[in-house]
Amino acid sequence: MDDGGPVVEVDNVTIRFGPLKAVEEVSLSVQMGEVYAIVGESGCGKSTLAYSLLNVVPPPGVVSAGEVRVRGRSISALSRKELNELRAVDVAIVFQAAMNALNPVITVGHQVEHILQAHPDVFPTEKEGREYFERLLQLVRLSPERIWGAFESRLSGGMKQRVAIAVALLLRPKVLVLDEPTTALDVLNQRLVIDILRDLHDTLGMTVIFVTHDLALVAELAERVAVMYAGRLVEVGTVEEIFYARRRHPYAVALIEAIPSVMGARHIKSIPGQVPSLLELPPGCRFAPRCPLVRDDICRRVEPSLLSDSGHHLVACHVANEDLQLENAVAGR
Amino acid sequence: MSLLSVDNVTHRYPTTTSEIPVLNAVSLEVEPSSVVAVVGESGCGKTTLGRLVVGLAKPMAGQVRYEGKDIWGLSKKEWQMYRRSVQVVHQDPYASLNPGLTVEDTLKAGLLYHRVVRRRDVRDELLRLLRLVDLEAGPAFLRRYPHQLSGGQRQRLVVARAMSLRPRLVVADEAVSMLDVSMRVSVLDLLLSLRSEHQLAYIFISHDFGVVRYFSRGGRIVVMFFGVIVEEGPAEQVISHPRHPYTFLLLDAIPVPDPRLARRRRSEVTSKAEERVTGEPSPAGCIFSNRCPFAEDRCRAEAPPLVETMPGPDHRVACWFPERVPDLEKIVEETVQAPTAEIPDGLAMRPQDESARERTVDNAPSGGTFAPAWDGHAVAGHARAAASDARPG
Repeated sequence: MDDGGPVVEVDNVTIRFGPLKAVEEVSLSVQMGEVYAIVGESGCGKSTLAYSLLNVVPPPGVVSAGEVRVRGRSISALSRKELNELRAVDVAIVFQAAMNALNPVITVGHQVEHILQAHPDVFPTEKEGREYFERLLQLVRLSPERIWGAFESRLSGGMKQRVAIAVALLLRPKVLVLDEPTTALDVLNQRLVIDILRDLHDTLGMTVIFVTHDLALVAELAERVAVMYAGRLVEVGTVEEIFYARRRHPYAVALIEAIPSVMGARHIKSIPGQVPSLLELPPGCRFAPRCPLVRDDICRRVEPSLLSDSGHHLVACHVANEDLQLENAVAGR
Repeated sequence: MSLLSVDNVTHRYPTTTSEIPVLNAVSLEVEPSSVVAVVGESGCGKTTLGRLVVGLAKPMAGQVRYEGKDIWGLSKKEWQMYRRSVQVVHQDPYASLNPGLTVEDTLKAGLLYHRVVRRRDVRDELLRLLRLVDLEAGPAFLRRYPHQLSGGQRQRLVVARAMSLRPRLVVADEAVSMLDVSMRVSVLDLLLSLRSEHQLAYIFISHDFGVVRYFSRGGRIVVMFFGVIVEEGPAEQVISHPRHPYTFLLLDAIPVPDPRLARRRRSEVTSKAEERVTGEPSPAGCIFSNRCPFAEDRCRAEAPPLVETMPGPDHRVACWFPERVPDLEKIVEETVQAPTAEIPDGLAMRPQDESARERTVDNAPSGGTFAPAWDGHAVAGHARAAASDARPG
């Protein structure tokens, strides 16, 4: 399946936590070697979606409809052993606040040895595995001598985040999933993580999928972007389309306008209100109560569907899609 | 008279083994209803500074003065008044609220202890405070526990708790860095509106110049590096005309919410950059010298004092070669041009990039053979190599 086709496909997936749907009818496809961003505020279902890529949705969450395919194989059909293989060799994840993911009572090197022992078939000898990890540490701009024997308490937050990335890369995954990779880091460490992820993509050809609420990070890194709101996709497109297209979802526009920057306009806008509870969704468009472009006649009554233009730029908004629908109607006549 | 002044404060935690103090001879002044933003990376001592200002720790040397009086020499009554007048909003609203107390209990404790209002007026005061921070002002909300609130609501509650004592100074320590982007702006706006309505002064601690630019308009910015103030001045000026290389580094590191500009700048970043980001402070000479692209022998031998610099007034920097640091305005100009449709895609940016570099060279300030080095950090490597060649021996 290494023919440049999609490496990860999410096909009409719904993830339920009891009565609520954290993710609803989401489809996306990530090409080999692509940098893909999943964007939204807290409570939009973006982390849950990322967890489903490795089949690690925390209980009681279940994928109740649709399927996730990695390199063409449906992951729900995998045996436990195959799933372990998938997590080791195909897809790796760096969880949110990964700086808290290291074991505080054993050294970093010790933890790496544990991983190598649990997956003895990845490297011919443990020594080679260790040497590979040292190269990874250099890739994430850390000195192997300093890190190997260190306990996590001796490392700064930024260093721990980078160690977590190196550990995730240890078994040579094809795809790296990161949940909020820069949240809680200072700007200098954010910049480092950005540079590292770019290197992974540019020099190793790694497929990177990351989840964030920060559109500045998306601008710096992503090639394709999926914007989620209250469990549903509202826009999918290239990073150029998300930032510059004329037809865009008002939620994506609002997320961009909320970033305080040192450059350009100083004016920033907050998004009024908050993400609705998934148990009390408003009728019609889920973003309507917060939307500056809302139209009472349609937005509060009919849920918009995700429509594509000729270039596969998908937007789910009645107002943004108005011209598109008109064009389609004319073309169909 | 300043509302609060930090005068030549040096502090070291007794448990640390490091020789370098957490704060080293730090001074700053906060005027009534003004904003002083303290900016720096994690571990630069900005949180310690906040702790000393609110009286949570006593400095090893130097003084913190409130209305001219050393806070560690106050009478019991004065101390109570000072503690009431200087409040703090911490970074993590999940940690700074007691999970066992309802909204009502959280807000009531300070009101009763400091006798801010009469007991029978407490209820009205609670509702007034909730309205003040745009929270739902009703009895149902007062009965909620922190775990029933969102991150943004919690941080608003923390702000309400601080405001309940009618403070004159609020220390906001990374108050919005844990919040989602959308919440962040609304909490910043809330703090700004309280400032104008209640003549409140802020010490605003943050690592993010984007947030600082928005919050501290008309105020002052203090840039700290490993316990030392390296630059200080009017907010707008420090951001558009940084005079310390570290300030520029912080500004330059901020992710740009504009894909075309971000990709254009990508080529300017080289493998040298990370040394600057993660390096330890220099033990001799200028504390920033081992991370600085402009460093020369003088920097490694002699620490520069914090002195007035161009374009002044009231702009001070601790650097021997402040004229070599480029203005941020150049980048701002580029940003304004960037979102036009003339660039077809992210790949066609090299020629543009070259011209940008030339422009910087043309505009380089005097003595600035090394000034364009910031464009390509690699050039800084040459500068450093040249400097070490020149060294005798």
